[in-house]
Amino acid sequence: MTRHFSRLLPALALLWYFPAVSSAADHEHSANEFEVFLAAEAIHGTGQTHAGDDDTWFDADVLFGLTEHQFKVFGEYYITPDERDLERLQFGWEFAPETTLWFGRFHQPASAWNSEHHHGRYLQTAITRPFIERWEDEQGLIPQHITGALFDTRQAMGNVGAIQVSTGVGYGPSILAHEYEPIDLIDNNPGRHRLAISGRLAYLPEYESGNGAGLVFAHDQVQTASPSVINYIQSTNIVLTVWGAYVDWTFDPWRVIATNYYVDVGLDTGAHDESFISGYIQAERVLPHKLTMFGRLENSSRMEESRYVHLFDDHDGDIDIAFQREALGLRWDFIRRQALTVEISHVISIDQRSNEIRLQWSGVIP
Amino acid sequence: MERRDSVRRLLCKVLGLLLLSMACASAYMNERLVLIASADSPIDQLDSIEVRRLFLGMNVTHDGIRLRALLNEADSQVRSVFLQNVVAMTDTVYDRRVLRLAMAGEITLPPIYTDKRALLAAVAANKTAISYAWERDVQQDKRIKILRTLWHD
Repeated sequence: MTRHFSRLLPALALLWYFPAVSSAADHEHSANEFEVFLAAEAIHGTGQTHAGDDDTWFDADVLFGLTEHQFKVFGEYYITPDERDLERLQFGWEFAPETTLWFGRFHQPASAWNSEHHHGRYLQTAITRPFIERWEDEQGLIPQHITGALFDTRQAMGNVGAIQVSTGVGYGPSILAHEYEPIDLIDNNPGRHRLAISGRLAYLPEYESGNGAGLVFAHDQVQTASPSVINYIQSTNIVLTVWGAYVDWTFDPWRVIATNYYVDVGLDTGAHDESFISGYIQAERVLPHKLTMFGRLENSSRMEESRYVHLFDDHDGDIDIAFQREALGLRWDFIRRQALTVEISHVISIDQRSNEIRLQWSGVIP
Repeated sequence: MERRDSVRRLLCKVLGLLLLSMACASAYMNERLVLIASADSPIDQLDSIEVRRLFLGMNVTHDGIRLRALLNEADSQVRSVFLQNVVAMTDTVYDRRVLRLAMAGEITLPPIYTDKRALLAAVAANKTAISYAWERDVQQDKRIKILRTLWHD
């Protein structure tokens, strides 16, 4: 309890400080940032004894930032009934226009979904995130947090277009029984953390609108001393290499997000090396009355045979790993910065098929 | 007799409403939304792409000076005209776009002003501030200069 309270203290301090700053926005010009993304969710899934790790009934994502001349401090603190984590804390120096060097803990740029939506539920149209994009503590298969340096630049191309280059280098996660453990900035760090590299090269044809397409790459070296992991994969080292391509395009009233990853898993003995492919395509269509309809197909190849993939299934009564999912839903932005969403899906996981229905309220304050 | 009076009263009410709606309509006729800066600002002109980028919170510099956008939400019509004609997005798309950019650490969200006087005071006090307002609200204000017309009725 004391530990939980001490972990909550930074968030409480920020909650106390930043509204005071933002309330002054009507009087003076300010370069501070404070937003809280809130969401509440209900789920029912056939054959599941409890909600999945990505389905907490309530979550709050506190975003805070401060910009002073070329220097920026930026953070994201995520709160659920079971979790309080400083997900990102970045110190940036914008040494040239649209070019920033960040230090700290950040989201790896090779994730097409997470670098767009981060932890803010309100920002994603669907309730669920694709299984391949899950965070480490939700049995995510690809490390998502790096602690080190991130170089990010956008260079103009023509009048409205730009090329984005983003590269992160630092310490990646260790691996324990059934999940990755990225470096925690305010708590213990069990296991050894080794090199992680991640990058993205993207073409943004109309930078302001958010359309883009690109290539991503990630390379993670993971070492483990966990007997259960070593016993399962017969290796103390995992070298994960990810290649991917993505497109996120809006052509009113449609938006399409499509991503495909090739994941190579290198183990101590070369004979056991594995690889698999995972991808998804999501289509959204804006309808009258602030409604948006969406559908998503997730599919994979060779994941079912991968021992590496099976390592992340903790058999706790929910679905940790899915090979395939079809989801369909409707979002209603009923009032400014608040939305209600319903999503139904069919999931094929390691040991079962399940039908799920989710209801979510999401919003952002102030 | 009573019926005639009530018909007369109803006619008066309808006429009154008609006159009121005509007065409101004429108040919005020839309305102009203008881009504004401090009278001391070195900025004289911004093109449409720069204006759009600026109000999405993106980096826009002029002669090495980084400009700061201030959002005017003093009335619902000014927001609606701004969304349609300046950033060319619906309110939901605009909000989610700027929130995504802020979430990525790429921008600082432009501050919102719901009070017209506070907005004009903030623009007047800051040489790098850029905002927009109805022409009638700023044309007599010597602290403010008009850079261009963004929309007119």
